[in-house]
This record gives sequence, structure tokens and C-alpha cells, in this order.
Amino acid sequence: MVILRGRKIKKVFGKKSNTQEVLKDIDIEVREGEFVGIMGPSGSGKTTLLNVLASIDKVTSGIIEINNNNLQKMKEQKLSKFRREQLGFIFQDYNLLDTLTVKENIYLPLSVGKTPKTVSEKKIKEITDLLGINDILNKYPSEISGGQKQRTSAARALVGNPSIVFADEPTGALDSKSATALLSNLEKINKEKKVTIMMVTHDSVAASFCSRVLFLKDGQIYSELYKGDKDRKQFFQEIMNTQGVLSGDGYDA
Amino acid sequence: MVMAMTLNQLVLRSMRKNIKSYYLYVFALVFSVSLYYSFVTLQYNPAIVNEIGTGRSSAALKAASYLLLFIVTFFVLYANKLFMNRRSKEIGLYQLVGMSKSLVARLIAIENIILWFSAIVIGVLVGLLTSRIFVMILLKIVEKDAFVELSFSIEALMMTVVVFSVLLLIVILQTAIRIKRVTLLALITTTAVADERVKKFNAFQMFLGFVGLISIGYGYYLSTTILDNLNVTPNVLLFKMVSILALTVGGTYFVFRFSVALILNFVRKSKKGLMSIQDVLSLSTIMHRMKANAMSLTTITVLSASTLAILTFTYISYYSADSVAMEAVPYDYIMYEDTGFELVEEFDKEGIQYTRYDIDLLAVPADVRPLLVKEAALNKTISTELGVQVVSLKAIQNKLPNLHLQEGEGYILGYNSLSAENIRIEAQKSIQFNTSAGEEEIFIKEVTEDLLLPNYHYYGFTVVVADSYFQKLLHDPLTKNQKVVGMELKEENQLIKAQEVFEANKVSVEMPIPGNDLATNTVSVESQENYRLNMLDSLGMTIFISGFLGLAFLIATGSILYFKQMSEADEEKGTYNILRKMGFTTNEIMSGIRRKQLFNFGFPLIIGLAHSYFAVKSGWVLFGTELVAPLLITMGVYIVLYSIFSILSAGYYRKVVEDAL
Repeated sequence: MVILRGRKIKKVFGKKSNTQEVLKDIDIEVREGEFVGIMGPSGSGKTTLLNVLASIDKVTSGIIEINNNNLQKMKEQKLSKFRREQLGFIFQDYNLLDTLTVKENIYLPLSVGKTPKTVSEKKIKEITDLLGINDILNKYPSEISGGQKQRTSAARALVGNPSIVFADEPTGALDSKSATALLSNLEKINKEKKVTIMMVTHDSVAASFCSRVLFLKDGQIYSELYKGDKDRKQFFQEIMNTQGVLSGDGYDA
Repeated sequence: MVMAMTLNQLVLRSMRKNIKSYYLYVFALVFSVSLYYSFVTLQYNPAIVNEIGTGRSSAALKAASYLLLFIVTFFVLYANKLFMNRRSKEIGLYQLVGMSKSLVARLIAIENIILWFSAIVIGVLVGLLTSRIFVMILLKIVEKDAFVELSFSIEALMMTVVVFSVLLLIVILQTAIRIKRVTLLALITTTAVADERVKKFNAFQMFLGFVGLISIGYGYYLSTTILDNLNVTPNVLLFKMVSILALTVGGTYFVFRFSVALILNFVRKSKKGLMSIQDVLSLSTIMHRMKANAMSLTTITVLSASTLAILTFTYISYYSADSVAMEAVPYDYIMYEDTGFELVEEFDKEGIQYTRYDIDLLAVPADVRPLLVKEAALNKTISTELGVQVVSLKAIQNKLPNLHLQEGEGYILGYNSLSAENIRIEAQKSIQFNTSAGEEEIFIKEVTEDLLLPNYHYYGFTVVVADSYFQKLLHDPLTKNQKVVGMELKEENQLIKAQEVFEANKVSVEMPIPGNDLATNTVSVESQENYRLNMLDSLGMTIFISGFLGLAFLIATGSILYFKQMSEADEEKGTYNILRKMGFTTNEIMSGIRRKQLFNFGFPLIIGLAHSYFAVKSGWVLFGTELVAPLLITMGVYIVLYSIFSILSAGYYRKVVEDAL
């Protein structure tokens, strides 16, 4: 089943005389249970693509559908509700609220809906057990490590059972050990709970955890790799090779 | 890139780019200048000089201008501090690219000089217009008609320029010291202030929070007892007042510093980690900011409370002018003995309609001790031997037609709030007349506030007795007979004409002071309207000045709260960004923010109102006769004006939240 479908996505920044086309007629499809990576050099439009797909930013033209909901046809109010109920977010700088404890942060997406408290407690326990952060629930973000923060952020993204999780450079601020731990967790959750994940990254190691990787260049999809039955090492090598072809002039990773 | 960019060019360029973050600072400056200038101008306005006179009022204006200077200084320095906080990143950046500290300080100084002098020019122009409005308001208060011209005063301008130049110097110095002291790292990270974490509350903090509540309560209690005993020495009174002040102000700080976060953390914990979005945006934010905000919230509370108390006191005296005049001169016109009857003839001639009351008065020596309420009877220092005014039932029948008395019974009239503070009496007891036949007891059926006689000639109250008994007293050699004639206009609109007649026929008479055989009082035919206008004349300036200062205080405190909320909103932009991304709507976020605003504005307001209520309650009798109406009106107006700032800041929050995504 196709969860996300984008047709002829175009995004233009700037005004009349000084415009810049960041996304040029991109077509994209994501199926349920996929773990999609988006790679590309700086300025290729990866984060912009993620933002418009996640309804945080608006497209200049084109159509985006998630679970058969046309994002362009929704008003701000409805879009917010949609985002809250169907999407999850993980960002490079964690985006936790400093004034809330870990548990309070994770509860946020459930706080508006009519989820009964006992159900919320159960969901929080389940996801925090899975991510191994159930012993820091009453700590504030300033009291925990970067890896723990990012796992908290992941727990918050996953707790509401979203249709799709968007992750923007989730390992960007982490050391390699924490990064690997987080990615293994995401991979496990993706496989076990059939959660669809879309992740922007410029780290080939991170991308090698995905089931499919898209390469962006100058606002267009340049190529696409499927993991298939390959193991992670082989897939990593393949990603590196594609990057080499892609770069030519100064790839930034 | 142009290499040789001069310092001045750099300043101008950065100012043009930063214009948005300047507007608040500029507003604060222009507001302060125009307020100060228009107030100082008043001293030199010809309309004021002619109508109110120069001596006493200009001294009052001068004293008030110092107070205003204090407000303005406080306000401007605070605005500068916030302004600098907002720009700490920019200042850090200048240093990061290699500018020396002294160069940055000079940069900021030049910028300030440009800003301040433009603000002075604009402020003086605005002040010129507003001062005219202020003069008109002042003349309206004292009920005088005069043409008000737009007057430009060089002296006032000089004073304003000098005062603000000195302030500018202070600001520049303050900034330079700040730049010199702070390290580059600290400068860059100032806006990302590490919020205080409420980790654990120890018993000591809990205790301090409790102490805060107790001391406010005790301060309130003390304030209600302050006028119980007026015979204490001034030192004791002063000590009591200072203790009340210290208790309430200190208590307020403790409540803000310790109790609030304590209670909120308790509520937070009770939710067991499942907080609604409203709680997230109100409860936890307030709790974490309490340490940093306690001082400013206390200042705002105390300033609001004193402003309110002063405004209420003044308004009480203004509002009471009518009723004080009514008590002093209970009829539109009063004549004593046989003097002033030309006025009656003139009224007849001019066709002015009036009702005439002829009152026969007897001064009778009496002892009121048996009448006193229990607690007052124990106080030996009260003098109870008085010359009481006695009238017959018949003489007042047409003014108060519902009284019925038998011999040996009496009514007490004119027992008002002030006499109640001095001698507290109650009905269903007896008063003792000292006649030549010995001591005679009159049973008092009722004690009322009804007015019969001018209270400043006849202190205390009047006793009404049965006609037959009055005739008996009349022939007693120990009593003294006097005559009072009161006239009440039938048509309110004839007042102006009647006043003209009265002014043309003023006469006075020597009248013995009751209870003192040797002294006499020079008493004229009196007019209630005249008395009222005289009171307004002497009160007008005080009322105007306190109203003016009150408004200045209100705007200053309101703006400071507003500025603070603006920077708080800016600091929390990241939070709103996260929440918007997660799919919370602007309205959901705003509902949480409104709760926070309710606290930030509402809490200081409510405590300020409570403080001022007790302050007013403790001393209002010294200012006038009416409490409830002036108190409610002042508080109501204050709440409305104050709310404007909370609405403004909510508007700003909405903008920040909307722009956050």
C-alpha cells in the first residue's frame, strides 16, 4: 500500500527577479513499512523536500498525498490536526522542550487527543521500553546525554502510532556509537512495528540502515538504490559508489 | 566590499537593519520625554499661573516633577537593559569579528546619541500637544473656565534636555561597563538563558513560601488596627506603618519567589507526567521562570499597589468634595442669628425659589459616657463632657418628618464616619444632660447620619428632643439659645443665579463657639456651592498631580510587563516552532499562553489590588467621606487600562506563534 505519493513537486524560493528553484518536478512514492533515506549534497533540496512532504512547508506547485489525504487541499487548522495524528518528527537538534521532563515531552502528542490516561501510560511504557529510556522518564532534557535526548525525541515521534515518521538528520549531532544505537532501534521498530520512516541524512552509514535510498541533486531525483537482500556492508559500499559518481565537484560528506 | 567603512556608516547601517527591535526602545524614550516635558511645561503655562496661582501649586508641581523623574529614570534604564539583552548576540558578533570592546562601546554610544536626540525632538513635540490637554484637564477638575493656549516654554525645554542628557550619559556609561565586564562567550549566549530547573524543593524553601503568606496576612491585620488608637506617639505610628510596609512587600517577594513555584510544581507532579498542552505552556514555563521573574513581579505588584492606593485616596477626596461640603454646609445657604437676611430679600426679588428652615438651637452641657460602646467606654482618655446641640422635634419636622418622640426620649443626628472614629456611641442607651435641675437622662432611640447642622461649627452630633422638654430646657439658665436658618433651592438650575446674588450680599457675624464662653467665631452667610468650589481649589492640584503620576506609573509598569512578555515570547519561539511542527494549532498554543498571561498579569494585579485595598481601608477616613464608590471606580479604571497591556502582549505572542513555523 502506498502511504505517501508526490507528483510534480515544485518549490521556488525568493521573489520575481531573484528566484531559485529548489525542487524541480519531483515524483516520489513511499510504501507502507518502507525505511526511505534521502541523500544528496548541501543545497540539493533534501530538507526542503522533507519539509514539504511533512506539510511543514508549502509547495509552489504539485500534489502530495499521505494516506489518500491531499495536503494542498487542507486548511491550516486541518493540516495541523493531520500532522498531529498521522505524522511523527525527529530532528537533528532533538527539539525537546527544556521545561518538560522526558515523560512530559513524550506525552505531548497524546495530550490533545482523547486518549485515556491509562492507555497513554501503556503506550509511553511500551515505546520507552523499546528505546531503553524508561529509567530517565522524570529527568529534564538538560540532565541527559545527546543519545538519550534523540531517543526521547524518537519516542515522542512514535508514541502516537503515526502513519509515517519524518527524520531530519537524526544522527547529525550524535557520536558514532549513539548514532548506531539509535539507527538500530529505528530499524528494529521499522521491521517489528511496520512503521514507515523517511530520513534525510548525509551520512552513508546512517543511510545503509534504510531499505531504499534516494539521491537528490539540484532539486531532482538523480538515482535510487534498493537494499533488497544485501547486508548492510554491501549496501553501504553501493551508496558510497553512487555518491562518488554523484559528487564530481566537492561532495560534502 | 567597501573596505574603509567608517564607524558612523556602520552605525547607520546596523540601525537601519535593526529598526524593528528599536521601536520599543524609541517608544519608551519618546514616552518618557513627552511625559516629562509636558509636566514641566505646566509650571510655566500662563493659564495655570493665572488661574491657580504660582506659590503653593508650583511647589507641588516641582515636587511632583522629581517623582516623575524617578519614574522616568527607572523606566528608561529598564528599557535600555531589555534592549541590550536583545542585542547581546549582535554585540558579541562585532567582537567576534575582531572589533575591540572600546570600539563596540563607542558604536553603541553613537547609536544611543542618535536615538536619544531624535526621541527628545519627537517627545518635546508630542509633549507640547499633550501638555495643553493636561492643562485643560486640570482646569476642568477645579471647575474653572479659561482659554488654554499652546504654550512653548524655553525653560521647560532646557530642563528636559539637561535631564535626558544626564540620563543618556548614565545609559552610555552603563552600557560601556556592561560591555567591558562581560565575556564574549557570555554575550553570545545571553538570550539562551539557562532556565532554572526546579529539581527538588527542600523544607526550608517550603517554609519561606509559607512565611511569605503569613507575613502578608499579618501586615493586612496590622493595617486594620492602625487607626484604632489615635493617641499613640508619632514614633509608634511610624514604626507600625514601616512594619506593615516591610511585611507586605517582603511577603510579596517571598510568595513570588518560593510559594508560586512550589505550588505549581506540586500541581505538575500530581499530573504524573501527563500534562495538557495548556499546562505545558503555562504551568511549567511559569514555574521555571519564577526565580528570574520574582523580583520584577514583586516590583510591579508593589508599584501597582502604591499607585492604586494614592489614586484612590485622591479620588476619595475629590469624590467626597460634594458630601464633605454637604456636611459642612447642610443647606444650599445658611444664615446665623439675625444676619444675612438681605439674601432672602434678594432671592425673593430675583424670583429664586427656595424652602426655608428655621432652627432653634440650644447648647446644653452633657455627658455622653453612658452612650459609648463597650470598648470605647474603657478608654479613659476620651473627653466625654461636651456642649451638645439640642433642637426640638417641631423645628425639624419638615426636614425629617418621620420622627416621633415622647418626653425623656431623643434622637441623635449627624453621627458621621469621622465622629464615629473619635467617639463611638450606640442607640438604646441614655445621654446625660447637666441642667440646673440636676442630671437628666434622655433615652436615645436611634443614632443616624442625617444632617441638620454644619459640622464644623457644631462638632459632634445633634440631639432631637420632644417639644415640651425643649421648652423646659429653653428657660434653663445653663443653656444657650442660637438661631440657624437654612435655605434649600427648589430648582437646581437656579444655582448659578443664586450664587451671583450670594456673592453680592456677603456678610459675616460674630458667633460664640459652643462650649467656650469667651471665644467667638467669625461666621458668614454660607453657601454649600462656595464651600465645594473652595475645596476643589485647594484639592485640584493634588488630585491632578497624583492622577498624572498614577497614570505615568501605570504606563511605566504596564509597559515593563509588556516588554518582558515580548522578550519572553521571543525566547520561547523555539518551543512554539516545535509544537507547530508536531501539529498543534496556533489557537491551541494561544490558549496555553493566555493562561500564562492570566498569571503574569493577573497575579501581580490581584495582589496589588489586595494590598491597596487594605492600605485604603486603613486610612481613608482622613481623606473623605465616601469609600466604596471611589475605590471601585479607581480599581475598575486601573484594571481596564492595565488589561490593555495584557491584550497587547497576547497580540505579540500570537504573532510570534504564527511566525514560528
